[in-house]
Amino acid sequence: MADISSLDLTRVKEDLINAHRECSKRRLLHGAKWAAELSSALNVTVSPHALAVKAVNEDQYQDFDKVTLSTAYFDLKEYDRAANVVEGATSPLASFLHMYSRYLADITRQLDNASDSIGHSGPVDNGCLKTLRMELSAKHVNKQLDGFGLYLYGVVLKKLDLSKSAVDVLVEAVNREPLHWGAWQELGLLITDREMLLSLSLPNLWVRSLFLAQVYLELQLHEEALEIYQAFMDAGFSRSNFIIAQIAIAHHNMRDVDQAVAAFSELEKIDPYRLENMDIYSNLLYVKEMRADLAHLAHRCCNINKYRVETCCVIGNYYSLRTQHEKAIMYFQRALRLNPHYLSAWTLMGHEFMEMKNTSAAIQAYRQAIEVNKRDYRAWYGLGQTYEILKMPFYSLYYYRQAHLLKPNDSRMLMALGECYEKLDRLQESKKCFRKAHSIGDVEGGALFKLAKLYERLSEEEQAASAFTEYIVETERKGTHSHEEMSQAYRYLANYYLARRQLDDAYATAQKCAEFTETREDAKVLLQQIQALRSHSEGLTPIHLDDSIESLPTDCYRPSDSHSFGRVTPVNLTFTP
Amino acid sequence: MCLWAGALEDMYWYAQTLYHTGQFHRAATLLCSRKLDKHYAACRYLAAKCHFECREWQEALNILDMADTSLARSSILNMSISQSFVDQDSSLPVKGINSSISLLRGRIYEAMDNRGLAADCFRRALQQDVYCFEALDLLVSHHMLTAQEEMDLLNSLPLTVCCGEEEMELVRFLYENRLKKYNKPGKQEVPESLSLLKNNMDVVVNLAERNYYNCDFQECFQITSSVLSKDPYHSQCLPLHIAALVELKKSNALFYLGHKLIDFYPNKPVSWFAVGCYYLLTKNYEPARRYLSKATSLEKTFGPAWLAYGHSFAADNEHDQAMAAYFTASQIMKGCHLPVLYIGLEYGLTSNAKLAERFFSLAKSIAPDDPFVLHEMGVIAFQNQDWHEAERYFKEALNRVQSVPYQNMPDKWEALLNNLGHVARKLKKYDEALEYHRQAELLLPQNPSTYAAIAYVHSLTGDNEQAVDYFHKALGLRREDAFSTTMLGSVIEALMVEVTPCDFPDEDSEAFGSTKLPLPPLPLQRGFVDLDSQSCLVSPSDRSSSMAIEEVEMDD
Repeated sequence: MADISSLDLTRVKEDLINAHRECSKRRLLHGAKWAAELSSALNVTVSPHALAVKAVNEDQYQDFDKVTLSTAYFDLKEYDRAANVVEGATSPLASFLHMYSRYLADITRQLDNASDSIGHSGPVDNGCLKTLRMELSAKHVNKQLDGFGLYLYGVVLKKLDLSKSAVDVLVEAVNREPLHWGAWQELGLLITDREMLLSLSLPNLWVRSLFLAQVYLELQLHEEALEIYQAFMDAGFSRSNFIIAQIAIAHHNMRDVDQAVAAFSELEKIDPYRLENMDIYSNLLYVKEMRADLAHLAHRCCNINKYRVETCCVIGNYYSLRTQHEKAIMYFQRALRLNPHYLSAWTLMGHEFMEMKNTSAAIQAYRQAIEVNKRDYRAWYGLGQTYEILKMPFYSLYYYRQAHLLKPNDSRMLMALGECYEKLDRLQESKKCFRKAHSIGDVEGGALFKLAKLYERLSEEEQAASAFTEYIVETERKGTHSHEEMSQAYRYLANYYLARRQLDDAYATAQKCAEFTETREDAKVLLQQIQALRSHSEGLTPIHLDDSIESLPTDCYRPSDSHSFGRVTPVNLTFTP
Repeated sequence: MCLWAGALEDMYWYAQTLYHTGQFHRAATLLCSRKLDKHYAACRYLAAKCHFECREWQEALNILDMADTSLARSSILNMSISQSFVDQDSSLPVKGINSSISLLRGRIYEAMDNRGLAADCFRRALQQDVYCFEALDLLVSHHMLTAQEEMDLLNSLPLTVCCGEEEMELVRFLYENRLKKYNKPGKQEVPESLSLLKNNMDVVVNLAERNYYNCDFQECFQITSSVLSKDPYHSQCLPLHIAALVELKKSNALFYLGHKLIDFYPNKPVSWFAVGCYYLLTKNYEPARRYLSKATSLEKTFGPAWLAYGHSFAADNEHDQAMAAYFTASQIMKGCHLPVLYIGLEYGLTSNAKLAERFFSLAKSIAPDDPFVLHEMGVIAFQNQDWHEAERYFKEALNRVQSVPYQNMPDKWEALLNNLGHVARKLKKYDEALEYHRQAELLLPQNPSTYAAIAYVHSLTGDNEQAVDYFHKALGLRREDAFSTTMLGSVIEALMVEVTPCDFPDEDSEAFGSTKLPLPPLPLQRGFVDLDSQSCLVSPSDRSSSMAIEEVEMDD
């Protein structure tokens, strides 16, 4: 990997400026924007000599008129016309413009023809794409494609679901034209795992690091990504919006909400009219339930541009937080009308449909999300949930599994998996899931309790007891507990100790048991048994039974009581998953 | 004329003029009343032609026959007369009159539905005069001879006798160029010595036709459009252009073309054929039939219209009527295997495999090298569960297809590749099957049945993970696919049974690997149950391929 810290920033800037020029000549607007943004973030001076337009070779002049006219039409979004003007032209630039305009013409036409009902795509109409592919592949075989032409070929292949060939072509494209970010981006979306990433032969340039970071983000390898971005920040890209945004996204993905919010609000300050990634920001605000901030963001975005996918998603999130699900769905649908391949709108819409208990629509939405990006674990998870509701456990198991594979360190997937296995009576697997969920840091809690219940079901008493104990310790520590679960835990422990004749522990736990209304009756019985046993062994009369019960409700939440389980802790040590 | 009291050539010219002004009866009477037709071949020819124009076939034939017998009777006398006459006055176009008469006789026979005799007459005409292109044209365009017979005829022509070295090459090339193009895929190059002809319209049109039969519709369309831009009503090019328009689904252009043709040539069958094809393309079968039958009634021998007429029924699943139309077409186009092929297809669709097979073999005997025929034979073998046979046919078809140096193989052949995959799967050659399906996917991306087939192979090899993935893909494209839905259910179930906890990825994959060895129980059972629905999986693709062929012939 190229060493980022020792980059020659002047060279980088020159390259970026050239890249911008090349991209905008071909009307690759996003690539041009990316190059310009990065270049403007670099605070170095470039000699005017390097910026002078290099002598254009002959073949560019040859089609000069045609190309100029074509780009003019292109800028007015008259793609067919633009394509027609440069039809049959031979220079690479002209033929690229021809193909690219045809591609865009087809895409816009499909967008316009799309039926109004979202998600109900009719039969695939890919005739234009197929002919484009034929022509491009002929040119490819004859080696007539430059880096940009290869990029277009790759995009078309990707559209046609021919990912393998698409990857090859795009790798070729980035090798030819390393500073065209669009090609990197398309390539990034096709990479399924780390091995594949490492197997590609990519140009050894600083861009490659940026690409790797982006893919790491996608592959949920956030630490690695952050490291690279940090290196870029240190190397002089600290004013780059792009990198700041990427860092914010990394924090978001790591569920490091506060950091992410901080990064986004900083971004907001630097670039107040930026809409990109604002939907992710809104997700964060949603999770933190910062209503006012979300409302503010929504209004602001709406002011900037009402008809942008990001704006629609922000507004959708806003309505969702206000539990106005219909309105939220309406906005997500609008986003999708604007761009049917906008991932987060599909997923979010799926969530909304779930809220409204419209499972079939939710499935539709989630599936579309997966079509757009197979690595969207939220959509897989959502699918799992819907199929769970539909009582199709195998399906939901499969989907949860996919989600888990994508995000192996998220306890929520593991919990869901565990529950599924439990439903299918495959308790061993279920046990493993819960144990793992607990060991990687249970986000929502409950893993331990479920695990304990499972041990109870499997009558592995030792394990159950230790799990319950740990559960109690954990919840006491966190200060969050539900009465029902606690009471059950105590009851089990009491029974357990009683059965082992550890009367002191049994007594203590039974006492706790009596604190909860649900188990008070059981507790009484237990205490009596304990008393009986004690008297049996020591000949004492039961004295403090009654007043203990009286006194208990008052010290219901006394944390100091937990030390009474001091004896149980040794058991904890045996609890190794 | 009156002054000369019936001098021969005046009579002839007068009759000729009458003929050209459309006063056929008058001309005929003129000639017959003076018995000129009995004595002079040219006059006889003209008189018969007059009757022919009036659709009085029998009369025309009588005139020709009568002359023949009289010729035989008093041959010497007559011959001498006509001979002397020719010598005296070459203004009467007697040269080649024999071939003209043969040609006319052939046309009369053809009009009287006596195609065998007609073909003989045309052949004789060609033998008598190698330059009688019209005879060849009729023979070829009406598909009277099989490819082999055509070649024989061409070889038997007395070219060496009749024309010089250079001319011979020219004529031979032009004729060969004109011969059957669809019975096997292939290319023909214009020889160096005749490179001047490269831009000749007829040669170019023949090239387009070849492209068409090679399923390179885009190329064909480009050529025909360029021809039509120079000569908007090139009659040989029009049907081809129409067919290419149908194939490329350019309904708007076809609509416009049809309108123009109807306005200019309401009496030509090709105009109504264009309109019929437009309705066929827009799936309006009722009007399509109406216009196509109009085309056939204008000229009974217009084969393409009959075939399209058949397609209009076939597309509506009216197999009997479709077959009736195809039968008529097969009567008309004796030398063409397509009608027979379609009859076979219809029988196949009505699950009458025996008859289908018989018709396919008939088609094969006419065109032994056509990959479409081979493909359909393979499908029948497949349906008879004769996997090896099917594989043989498919492979042969593939060989034929691959013999054409395509830049890109036309996506029509996706069905062939998929069927090869199905067969390979049946023969338990799973890797091969996957490979074929992959190729099919490359050829025609985003095809749900290809995905389903890939998934099925994966499930049989026990790679349930991939299977689930591909079934999902298939269902994403075609949601109500029963086969994929049931298979997905069972495969997911099997996958989830075999996959042990995902806690420890490494361990997990090992566990997966070990269960791979024995075939997973669930999908297999399902597989057996699904045998029928499996063949369903095949037939849609066959159907599409059959539709493919249907379109292929459409022109000609």
